[in-house]
Amino acid sequence: MQALKVSDLTLRLPDGTYLCKSLSFEIEPGAVLALMGASGSGKSSILSWITGTLDSRISAHGQVWLGQNNITDLPVEQRCLGLMLQQDYLFPHMSVAQNLKFGLRGGTRAQRQAMVESSLTSAGIKDMANRHPGTLSGGQRARVSLLRTLLSNPHALLLDEPFSRLDTQLRATIREFTWVSAASLPTLLVTHDIDDIPSHAQTLSLSDHQASSTATNTVEPHHAG
Amino acid sequence: MTRFIGYSIACLFGLPLLVGLAGSILPAVGLMPQLAPGNGLLQLFQDPRFWPSILLSIKTGLTATLLVLFVTVLTLVCAHGTRLWGWLMGFMPPLLAVPHAAMAVGLVFLISPSGWLVRLTSTVVPGLDRPPTAWVVPDSGGWSLILGLVIKEAPFLLLAAAAQLATINVDSSLKIGRTLGYSPARCWSRLVLPQLYSRIRLTLFIILAFNLSVVDMAVLLGPGNPPTFSVFLLSLVNDPGSRAAASAGAVLLAAGVLLVIGTVLVLEVLVAWVAGRRRESGHRGKALNAFRRLGQVLIASLLALSVTSMVMLLVWSVARRWRFPDALPSQWTGDNWLSRSELLLNPLLCTLTFALFVVVVTTASAIAWLESERFNKVPKLDWLWYIPLLIPQVTLLFGWQALALLIRADGQWLTVAYAHWVYTLPYVVLILAVAWREFDPGWNNAAAVLGACYWRILFRIRLPLLIKPVSQAAAVALAVSVAQYLPTLLLGAGRHQTLAIELVTSFGGVDRRVIATLAALQSLLPLVAFIAALGLPKLIFPTTHQSNASA
Repeated sequence: MQALKVSDLTLRLPDGTYLCKSLSFEIEPGAVLALMGASGSGKSSILSWITGTLDSRISAHGQVWLGQNNITDLPVEQRCLGLMLQQDYLFPHMSVAQNLKFGLRGGTRAQRQAMVESSLTSAGIKDMANRHPGTLSGGQRARVSLLRTLLSNPHALLLDEPFSRLDTQLRATIREFTWVSAASLPTLLVTHDIDDIPSHAQTLSLSDHQASSTATNTVEPHHAG
Repeated sequence: MTRFIGYSIACLFGLPLLVGLAGSILPAVGLMPQLAPGNGLLQLFQDPRFWPSILLSIKTGLTATLLVLFVTVLTLVCAHGTRLWGWLMGFMPPLLAVPHAAMAVGLVFLISPSGWLVRLTSTVVPGLDRPPTAWVVPDSGGWSLILGLVIKEAPFLLLAAAAQLATINVDSSLKIGRTLGYSPARCWSRLVLPQLYSRIRLTLFIILAFNLSVVDMAVLLGPGNPPTFSVFLLSLVNDPGSRAAASAGAVLLAAGVLLVIGTVLVLEVLVAWVAGRRRESGHRGKALNAFRRLGQVLIASLLALSVTSMVMLLVWSVARRWRFPDALPSQWTGDNWLSRSELLLNPLLCTLTFALFVVVVTTASAIAWLESERFNKVPKLDWLWYIPLLIPQVTLLFGWQALALLIRADGQWLTVAYAHWVYTLPYVVLILAVAWREFDPGWNNAAAVLGACYWRILFRIRLPLLIKPVSQAAAVALAVSVAQYLPTLLLGAGRHQTLAIELVTSFGGVDRRVIATLAALQSLLPLVAFIAALGLPKLIFPTTHQSNASA
């Protein structure tokens, strides 16, 4: 696995307002960086810029690296980043298994089927393969969405408030499931809820960087025990 | 009372559909010998034009519909999210409002051997001082008709698709699909289009039914020998000896349309199965930027073709002298508009009389229906409104004409206006239904607790707040009425010379400048209506719009 590195990122709105100036950070594999800030502070814009889906009206300068590879100018589909949004966006015209297979890359039919089954088993929703997303509970949907992202074999994980639509009891379970599932990936979490941040994560408050920041925040993995 | 009004509207709308079908089926099977003597089917099969015209209709109708679908998908995949998309969304509504006959005339002025494209080419190709003889418009293969149908119907499907994009979270689907590693085209084909298709299927079927049975465009752009099947039937219906054959053909046409729709439904299952298998393969595809740019060029060319066709009408309508191969008229004049008022004024007044009547009655009846529906006095009957759009006009109108002849109602102004109403109401109800059903009932409750009665709430609260969709629906009603050719022709018994009738009957035998002026005038009416629909609400209820804007 490789580190996710953002260097010297500046985002500016069409009216000239800076969302961030010269922001830099590096997330090692297995580490989590929580990006915090008030609504409209630019957290989601930073995440969109990393994935390559930033609104073209926002001007952006900076570089993003996965290990030694500069992926700044690559098309979205070639960046190998996993993205989870507030809404799960399970495709309603596909069953759970089809959604998961849609995430898989390569493999024979039998291999793909086996991978889907084992991932569903690991998530505790083994019997849901042929169900359609509309029939799942919020927690089941969240798990399928995360599994689909992970099955696409991403090199880093980007989470944009993925727990905010879940009820309080479910949140803790899904958070735990997420951090265990993504244990080997560099993970960037955008949230405004401090409870979403795992204990081993580092936090970067966006308001601290609106003025200027030249320091690189390196986030290293947490080693238990 | 509300229930009575609601059911009256449904009956007034539904009964003509039954009468139309019965009026075509009964003569076809020999049950109306006094009106249609003989064996209709036998007469039809013995006519040498039967099979060639059927084959031509299948070719033009199916090819045009497939191309409309292809252009729509191509536009979505290649243009969505680009600047071209913004242009398209700006140009599509006015292009959609242009009557079919006027668009067809403009296209002839553009692509015929003496048309503007050849004239423009002659400025760079030396020696092209006479119109080429390599092709003619209309051509015997029906390709001019196919092109006309594509540029007229593609905006309809594209706007229907664009309206549905927001309901399927297209941007998010594309974003998720691309972060999973899929190329943009694969995201469209595997994520967006399968969801979108079911939402635009009915619109596609309406286009399919129209393309297979169109008359006015086929008269203007289609070949004459053999003509398309519906034009062939039209030539039969005017001959009393062939009326049974015409009715049999009209029934066959409706059956054919249903058969094709059924076939498409079966093909859908097959395509969905194949697409499902391919979707599970996990193949990401490649970003084909060159293909995307090529698609954009093709779409822009079709848009330019439509817009230039309309410009041609305006240019010809103010031309005094325009010799081949000049790219522009050498002399200009306003006389085509001003000194031919006797030619333009009567059709204009006739068209406006029908259109204004239809606007008022259709809008009022659509509102009355939706109000009945709101109070649960009548069930939702959305399927009912689609019936006249899915059954070929020829089929229903032959039946209506038979009945009108029997009760001596043919040629009556009210008979024609009634037919216009039937063909306009579906559009108005379906447009208003969205706004009506989504209207926040809290506004009614707020007014009711202040002591307002039903009528006061309707006229002081609901209509002012819904004035925008009501105005747009009224403009659509006017556009649909202005474009009606076949109902006016068959039920009007030649007594009502609307612009549509005058344009189609004069085409080919009258000066191009007169034809262009008629077509331009016919196109201007719906455009004026749409401009009025944008401006009038602000004039009538300025405070509503100020408060909406500030909200």
